[in-house]
Amino acid sequence: MKSFARLRNFPFWSWLWFVLGVLYFVLPLFATLEFSLGMERDVISLKAYQRAFADPKFWQTFGYSVFLAAMTIIVSIILIVPTAYWIRLRLPEARRIVEFITLLPFVIPAIILVFGLIRVYSTPFHIPFTNIYLGQPLTNFKFGTIFLIIGGYMVLGLPYMYRSVDTGMRTVDVRTLTEAAQSLGANWFVVIVRVILPNIRTALLSGSLLTFAIVVGEVVLASFLGVQAFGPYLFLLGQHRAYEPAALTFTTFLLTWASMGIIQLVTGGQGQTAGAH
Amino acid sequence: MAHLTLSHVSKHFGNFSAVRNFNLEVERGEFVSFLGPSGCGKTTTLRMIAGFETPTSGKIAIDDLDITDKAPSQRNVGMVFQSYALFPNMTVAQNIGFGLRIRKEPEEAVKKRVAEMLALIHLEAKGNSYPYQLSGGQQQRVALARALAIRPQVLLLDEPLSALDAKIRVSLRAEIRAIQRELGITAIYVTHDQEEALSISDRIVVMREGEVDQIGTPFEIYNFPKTRFVASFVGTLNTAVAEVLDPAQGLLKMNGNLLQIADRLNGKVKGDTVMIAIRPERLSFLSEGKKENTLEGRVENITFLGSVVRIQLNIGGTAFNMDTFNRPSLRLPEIGDTVRVTCSPKAVLILTE
Repeated sequence: MKSFARLRNFPFWSWLWFVLGVLYFVLPLFATLEFSLGMERDVISLKAYQRAFADPKFWQTFGYSVFLAAMTIIVSIILIVPTAYWIRLRLPEARRIVEFITLLPFVIPAIILVFGLIRVYSTPFHIPFTNIYLGQPLTNFKFGTIFLIIGGYMVLGLPYMYRSVDTGMRTVDVRTLTEAAQSLGANWFVVIVRVILPNIRTALLSGSLLTFAIVVGEVVLASFLGVQAFGPYLFLLGQHRAYEPAALTFTTFLLTWASMGIIQLVTGGQGQTAGAH
Repeated sequence: MAHLTLSHVSKHFGNFSAVRNFNLEVERGEFVSFLGPSGCGKTTTLRMIAGFETPTSGKIAIDDLDITDKAPSQRNVGMVFQSYALFPNMTVAQNIGFGLRIRKEPEEAVKKRVAEMLALIHLEAKGNSYPYQLSGGQQQRVALARALAIRPQVLLLDEPLSALDAKIRVSLRAEIRAIQRELGITAIYVTHDQEEALSISDRIVVMREGEVDQIGTPFEIYNFPKTRFVASFVGTLNTAVAEVLDPAQGLLKMNGNLLQIADRLNGKVKGDTVMIAIRPERLSFLSEGKKENTLEGRVENITFLGSVVRIQLNIGGTAFNMDTFNRPSLRLPEIGDTVRVTCSPKAVLILTE
């Protein structure tokens, strides 16, 4: 009787959807892993991984993408944190506009963005309505291209970074903490660096991780701007090889999980740090 | 020379006038409370002193130095917030030392001052704790220590006890007052709790709809309220309309009962009406031989409030409360009984609107 009652209370549909969801995410991953380990016939081996890691192009492109991701994250934080902070503190009426802008990368494909960038920055800078030229087109030299691609990546990561930062600021009483710091003599810079940033570090890490994931795997911008990044490398590798791309894809997943673990490690044990209370 | 001066200070938010023509002079070491209901402008005034709001007009000065347009970080003013506002990422000691480190004081001096402040708030053992590891009362004591650590010229407290439970509120307000007296610091305290304001302050500023209604000592505010609002906001009050019978003698008629007041009714003529007020504790049962200010009423309800018993009376259609000490020898009437009560002429207050 008791076990029947327990069976009746069992949330069957909840579990069914949960299991289906897990299978949807885990099965492709498992298939990728299994495929990546099957380079040698009838033997489970790490050969695909060894080959992939042995390719100097891999390290070169991956290192370059990590550098681009790091630069994108730094620039994003420098621009987005003060913006979100100011909107929360002084311009709450502008939030809707800014949120709309941050959502634009979801509706405007990367291909449009990159063509726009190329169209605007592949011509020399000149003062409008004059023939006075101020400089070379950004697409003509390496630093200019890096500048362009970081800008583009920042736009692609904008929804994730802005929303993470904004959510983080929602969990702390930004206004009161700011006023408390100001009454103790802190200027704006000190308030942001020593009070606001440390209290939204979980949100910053989340935003940074998402930006990192987007930048490292990004293909369109890098391909069209001719940047030797990891995304185009993986794409090309997939056209010529079978097992190595699977190995690298699974490695990328591991990297993401490692990043999530780091977030837990850094933020865990802090307890309830957020809020003015 | 006053330590803190607010001269003709006003603040408008668009069409809304939050504070109008606020004038106040606070002496060094004085404890002044801003008392009033929500939206009366008390917090806005405090925020103008702190520098978080800029007055639309008027002047704020500390020791005759105009600070009206100075940034909050440029004023040497300490602030304690209702929500504590401790920095969650810093330990108690780091919170207290924050302002000193901003001022680039030597590390040794910072550590010494932090230790002094921790001793002052009796939290010496909590220096390495994080705010979330402390109770609400402890967090507010840390917030107080942090505000005091920078040796501010004026200490501002914005409803600092509102988020705490009743028992801690009482003990902490006594502690705040003791610390303020010990350091001799000038303090402005915002509260909507009249008991808090009465118990802690040297002077009280009662505010209503952006204006000052009355400034006075707790004794003056409670016993001699100038307006009906002050009288009703501070303590419990019986109010009624009375007719002037003899202005020179201070004789009134209220619901058929004759009332004698202590002063002459200057500016009034026979037949005018005035608003009178009597505190519940100033009424007592009529004793033998006493004749003046006799009011007859019917007992509507009797409520025990611990040390006090409140008797609700209907005097000629007007509800009156009478408070009497709850002692074993007390003989109470029954509900529905007709009783006669009295008060001294000094207990009858004449209120303005």
